[in-house]
Amino acid sequence: MYRSFLSWRYLFARRTNLIGVMGILVGVFALILILSIMTGFLAESRRVVRGSLSDVLIVPYQGDGPGTTIAADPGAILSTVRADPRVAGATGQLVWGGMITVEGKKLDPAMSSKLGQNPLVVQLVGVDVASVYRLAWSQVRAIVAAVGIRLPQLDFQDEYSATDLLPALTGALPRVDDPRAKVKNPLFPFARPERYRPRGRPKAAVVLGDQLFDGLELRVGQEIQIGTIVQDPVTGKWELSNREFVVAGTFRSGENESDQSLVYLDRRELADFLGGFRQYTHVLLRLHDYERDGRVVAAEVYETLLERGLLVENPSPRFPQVRTWEQFRGNTLGAIKNERVLMAIMLSLVLLVAGFTIFAILSMMVTEKRRDIGVLLALGATPRGLLDLFLMVAFWDALLGTIFGTLLGVWAALEIDNIERSLSSAFGVQIFDRSVYLFDYIPAIVEPIPVAMIVAGAFLCPLLFSTYPAWRAARLDPLEALRYE
Amino acid sequence: MSSPGTRPAQPKERVAAKSRARVLEASGIRRAFSVGDRSLEILHGIDVDLSEGERVALVGASGAGKSTLLHVLGLLDRPDEGALRIAGVDPWRVPVTDRARLRNREIGFVFQFYHLLPELDAVENTLLPAMIDRSTWGYLSERRALRERAVAALERFGLGERLKHRPAQLSGGERQRVAIARALFQDPRILLADEPTGNLDTATGETVLELLLGEQERRGLAMILVTHDSRLSALCQRVLTMEDGVIQADSAHPIPL
Repeated sequence: MYRSFLSWRYLFARRTNLIGVMGILVGVFALILILSIMTGFLAESRRVVRGSLSDVLIVPYQGDGPGTTIAADPGAILSTVRADPRVAGATGQLVWGGMITVEGKKLDPAMSSKLGQNPLVVQLVGVDVASVYRLAWSQVRAIVAAVGIRLPQLDFQDEYSATDLLPALTGALPRVDDPRAKVKNPLFPFARPERYRPRGRPKAAVVLGDQLFDGLELRVGQEIQIGTIVQDPVTGKWELSNREFVVAGTFRSGENESDQSLVYLDRRELADFLGGFRQYTHVLLRLHDYERDGRVVAAEVYETLLERGLLVENPSPRFPQVRTWEQFRGNTLGAIKNERVLMAIMLSLVLLVAGFTIFAILSMMVTEKRRDIGVLLALGATPRGLLDLFLMVAFWDALLGTIFGTLLGVWAALEIDNIERSLSSAFGVQIFDRSVYLFDYIPAIVEPIPVAMIVAGAFLCPLLFSTYPAWRAARLDPLEALRYE
Repeated sequence: MSSPGTRPAQPKERVAAKSRARVLEASGIRRAFSVGDRSLEILHGIDVDLSEGERVALVGASGAGKSTLLHVLGLLDRPDEGALRIAGVDPWRVPVTDRARLRNREIGFVFQFYHLLPELDAVENTLLPAMIDRSTWGYLSERRALRERAVAALERFGLGERLKHRPAQLSGGERQRVAIARALFQDPRILLADEPTGNLDTATGETVLELLLGEQERRGLAMILVTHDSRLSALCQRVLTMEDGVIQADSAHPIPL
C-alpha cells in the first residue's frame, strides 16, 4: 500500500518531478502535433494534387511523321474510356503556356516577390464546361434532334465530372477559404461579367487563380492581354499571338501553385486562340475507386487506345502516355512520405530526452531520500517494495505526462490552423508563411495508430530509464541510509 | 507464537514480569566492517537475551559498538557470525519478505533523530508501518479503523492538536512522540530505542521518556534502550555495559569477582 501512497506523495512533494512530467508532456505533445501535421501534409497534398490532375492522366504523343498524328478532337478517346465501367468521368483539356499583361500596369519584378513567382508566366487551361458557344450549339442540336437526327453527345460539363474545378470555383473544397471574387454562376463560369462594358468586340472570359488575381490587382470585368506562341498549321513556323480576355472571376484550390499560375478558359476558345493547331493536350479520367483500380485502369486504357489507333506509340518514351496522378507526381509524394518517417525518428529522440530527465530526477530523488529509504527498511519494507516505490514515481510521471501531452497534442493538432492564426495576429509575425507551401492552410490529421505508438513509447521510455535508480534504491544498505544525517 | 504470521491488531495487554517469555536470543554475535583493505571487528561475540516486559539499558562509550549491536538485533544489519532468534525465528534463515515482516510486526524502532518522513503528516507517519504491512486493498478496507487507532494513539500522547501537521511543523519532543506512536503501532514485542532523548532538552526528554517507559510497562514490551545518561539507566531493571565490542557487565548476570 505504501508504494502507491508514497510515490503519489513524492510526486507532488518534489517539484523536480513535475519537471519530469513536463518533459514527457512536451515530448508527447510535440510528437503528436508534428506527426499529425506531416500526415495532414501528405494526405492533403494527395488530395490537392489529385484535385487538379484527376485520377488518371492521358498525355497523347503527337509525332510529325506519317502515321503518328492522332485525332485532333478528344471525342473518340473520351467515348472509349467512358465505356469502361470503372471510369466515373472523363474530360479533355488543352493546356498551353502564356503570359499575362495588364494595360497601364508596369511589368514590375517586385510583383514576383509578392506572388512567389513571376506573375506574368501562366498556364492556360482550356476546359469543357458550359459556355455560350456550347449553349448555342446545344440549341442547334435540340432542333436537329427534333427532326430525328442523332448527333454525338456534346461535351457539356465534362470538366466537373473529372476534376475539382467546380468546388474550387465555389469555395467548397474542404478547409479552403472562398475564392475572393467568385464567378457569378459556377456552372457557367465563362459568362461575361454583368458590368462588363467592352471596348469594341466583347472578349472571351477567363477565370484566374485568386492569388494571381490579387497579385496583379485585377478587378472582375477588367480586360487583360494574354500572349503565347503558336505553330502555324500550314508552314509549321512558330509565331507570336496575343488576344484580349475579360476577367470573369477567380477560383481557389488551396494549392498555391495552381492559385498563382492557372488561367481557366473554354477549351474551344483557347483552341481558337492557338489557331486550331491543337484541340486538346490532356485527357483526364476520374475513377469510382482509385485506390483499387488506378494502376490497372491506367495500363488497360493505354493498351485499348493503342489498339484502336487513338494513341500512337512514342518512339522514344520518357514517360508513359497514360499515368496515374501518383506516377505523375511520384517524386513529390515520395519526398513527403520519407520526410514523415525521418521526422518520426528524429522526434523519438525527444522521448529519449524525456527518459533521461526521468533518470536524472529519480537518481537525485533516491540520493535525497536515502534516509526515508532507511526508515522504510527499518519499518519492514522489502528491497523489492522500494524498487516498486521508485518505479511507481516514474509511472506517475509517465502517466500524467502522457495523458496531458496526448490531450494537448491532439487538441493542438485539431486546432493548429486557428492556433497559428491567433498566434500570428497576436505577435504580428507570420509563423507559417502560407504562400511558400503547397497549401494556404496547415493541414493536420490525427491518426489513432501513430498516436497510440507515441503514447506507448512515451510511457515505456521513462519506465525503462527509471529501473536503474529504482534498483539502486532497492540495493541501499539501511545502515548507510540511516547514518546519513 | 514462533511464527511471524497474522496476529490480531488489538494491543496485547501483557502482564509484565509474569510470563517472561524469551523474545530475543543472541549468542556469539560478531560483526566486522572492512575499512579500506583491512577488516575492523566491532562486535566480538556478544551474547544477549531479552524477555517480555524486560527493560534493558545499553550503556558504554561512543564507539563501543552499541549502535551496531542495536542494528544487528533490529535486523538492519547481518551479523558475520553468531545465532540470532527473534520470536523463536532465525531471521537470517527465512526469506527476505518474512524477515521484513518480523521487522514490521515484532520490532519497533525509536531513533535519536526521529526519522519521520517529511512528506507525511503525523497520522500518516504513525500509519506507515500498517501501510507497509498491508496490500492496497487490505489497507483500504481497514482504513477507517486504522486511522482511528492512529488518531487515538496520538491523542493519548498529547498530539490531538497536531494530527495534520508535518514533521517540519512539530517540535523535537512532538516529533519523537509521533515516532514512538509509529514504533508501537504494529504492536511489537520488542522496542529498540537508540538514545531517544539524546536530541531533546532535559525537560522535553523527561516527558518523552516518561511516555516511552509508561508504554513499555503497560504493554509489557521487551525494550533495549541505548543511552549515555546514567540517570536513565538507573530507571532500567537491567544494565548492559559495552566496551570495545564486548559486554563487560550485565547487571542480571553479575560476573562473580
